Amino acid sequence: MPLSVSLSVDGDISVIELIGELDAHTAPEFHESIEKAAAHGTAIVEIRMHEVAYMASAGLRSLVFAQQKVVDGVTIRVVGASEPVSRTIRTAGLDRSIVLADE
Amino acid sequence: MSKLAQLAERAPELRVPARLGALDDIARYVLALAGRARLDGNTAYRLRLAVDEITTNVVMHGYRGGPGEIVLRGGCDADRVWVRIEDGAPPFDPRDGRLDPAPDVPIEQRRVGGLGVHLALISVDEFSYAYLDGRNISMLAVRTGPGPSTVGESGRL
Repeated sequence: MPLSVSLSVDGDISVIELIGELDAHTAPEFHESIEKAAAHGTAIVEIRMHEVAYMASAGLRSLVFAQQKVVDGVTIRVVGASEPVSRTIRTAGLDRSIVLADE
Repeated sequence: MSKLAQLAERAPELRVPARLGALDDIARYVLALAGRARLDGNTAYRLRLAVDEITTNVVMHGYRGGPGEIVLRGGCDADRVWVRIEDGAPPFDPRDGRLDPAPDVPIEQRRVGGLGVHLALISVDEFSYAYLDGRNISMLAVRTGPGPSTVGESGRL
């Protein structure tokens, strides 16, 4: 299933909305949006994952890339991740530096 | 046909080019197998994730982005669902590239290559690898009975 990625800026928040599945084939699109979001220089980068039904390690790589790309003090927030997706994030220990939020 | 014979029925073989664009077909194959075996959603997700990670590994590190083919065969026994992944890349045991998470390392310094293999190995109940007749063969299986479903119990996903 393809991945649809949209990026918008709402005040001091860059919002990346993902719809579809995040695997090694689709993750490069997510990567591109992270680079653009980091360039906006907002205090928060919010990644909305309500409609992401599946995420492989390629998605983890993208989240690490996001954290490495933004400047110190910028918060990366993953919102609405499904149970298996947030479980994968926690398994990799990324929840220590990335905020996982329900809404 | 007896129930056991039905369970032991094998899914058709899937042959795909060793490209990331084939991951969709691979996912459909695994999810169809999971559906036939009536796996619960969590177990089906784990099996799909493991097969996805191992086949991605074959494309990226086995064939190193070069041409090749991946062959999947799957089936159900009485108490497990299995998928066999076969490729003709140079000998490559996926476990050699495993990298366990390092949550205490600051994220800025994280290495993330190898996490996929870690995810694959903790997602399935059985994993084996062999190099036979010039072919890499990985065998993955999940049990069909109730199993661990949360991280923290044996590290299982």
